[in-house]
Amino acid sequence: MLSRLVLRAAPAALRALPPPPLAVGVLHATRQLHTTQQSLAPLPPLPEKGGEVRHGLIPEEFFQFLYPKTGVTGPYMLGTGLLLYFLSKEIYVVNHETVAAACILSVIIYGVKRFGGDVAAFADKLNEEKMAKALAVKNEAINSLQAAIDEEKKEQWRVEGRTYLFDAKRNNVAMLLEANYRERLMMVYNEVKKRLDYQVAMQTLKRQKEQEHMIQWVEKNVVQSITPQQQKESVAKCIMDLKALSKGAHAAL
Amino acid sequence: MAGRRAALKAVDWAAFAERVPPNQRPMYNALKTRNDALTARLAALPEKPPAIDWAYYKANVAKAGMVDEFQKKFSALKVPEPVDTQSAKIDAQEQEAAKSTAEYIQASKARIAQYEQQLQKFKNMIPFEQMTFEDLHEAFPETKLDKEKYPYWPHKPIADL
Repeated sequence: MLSRLVLRAAPAALRALPPPPLAVGVLHATRQLHTTQQSLAPLPPLPEKGGEVRHGLIPEEFFQFLYPKTGVTGPYMLGTGLLLYFLSKEIYVVNHETVAAACILSVIIYGVKRFGGDVAAFADKLNEEKMAKALAVKNEAINSLQAAIDEEKKEQWRVEGRTYLFDAKRNNVAMLLEANYRERLMMVYNEVKKRLDYQVAMQTLKRQKEQEHMIQWVEKNVVQSITPQQQKESVAKCIMDLKALSKGAHAAL
Repeated sequence: MAGRRAALKAVDWAAFAERVPPNQRPMYNALKTRNDALTARLAALPEKPPAIDWAYYKANVAKAGMVDEFQKKFSALKVPEPVDTQSAKIDAQEQEAAKSTAEYIQASKARIAQYEQQLQKFKNMIPFEQMTFEDLHEAFPETKLDKEKYPYWPHKPIADL
């Protein structure tokens, strides 16, 4: 690519090498023409507007060229003189085509002066739209690339978290094993305790039953052994005790 | 007991949660709930079962020798530790993950380099206002009209207009 640029710049360099006979310093030009020896890369941007012209035809450089010798009116005098010379010597002949040219030119000039600005603005707008579209595409491309880069970096950061995953998994496994082991211990303990408690409970139950039975048996025997004679005697004693008690109560009252 | 006491590594769940991509959220949630359930279960179980009061039983159980027999067998009993079948698999998974992540990171870096290159190209482009058509074709080769393949205007298939 650089080679192409060098090739483009080569003619410019070639032109610049032998300075043209028209001395450059005399031209008070609004633009520098082929003065530099360097080949500029990348090329400088092309100028937006063309060279200045007066009356739409004559470049400004001509007036500037004549200014030192003839002042401001010089070129106009020259122009008038030339025109009169052509007319009087009939180098330019006035015929019907002159009239046609005059009409056509006046119409054209009127049209350009009246509509030129609008047409130019419209064309500029079209161009602007094209540029804006291209720019939008470029900006979007830049943004999407940037976003893609950020996404990739984020994914890389995410990937670093895999250690957590495996730690969590190992924790899970360890906890599961530990819980299992403890459950087994508890089971053993519970079973043994259950059996021992069963034995103790059996014994206490048996003892209880024996006691109850014993008590009942004793009661039964005692009740049986109370003969009717003894019953009458005990009833009489009770009555006497009651009488004594009631006497005592009457006395107290 | 060394095989049993695999110390539980503290997992920073917050940092972990940050790094989970949204399409793997359900898996992460499942893992977390499982972890929480296991933690709760573990916390509910005492580390050692309470000691059996042999003296009380010896005094109260009438059957001769039963308590002694139980005590002897109980203290001789070794509860087998549950066998750890998964840790090896997890380690293998981790190795594999390390490898695949290294590959992924490589590919990712290559992609990033590519993107960076294109980004630089875009950033260093001259503005469109100063471009000629030649410059445009250099910057975007796809805009170049193939005059050999389509020698007649518009130099591209009509469908592409």
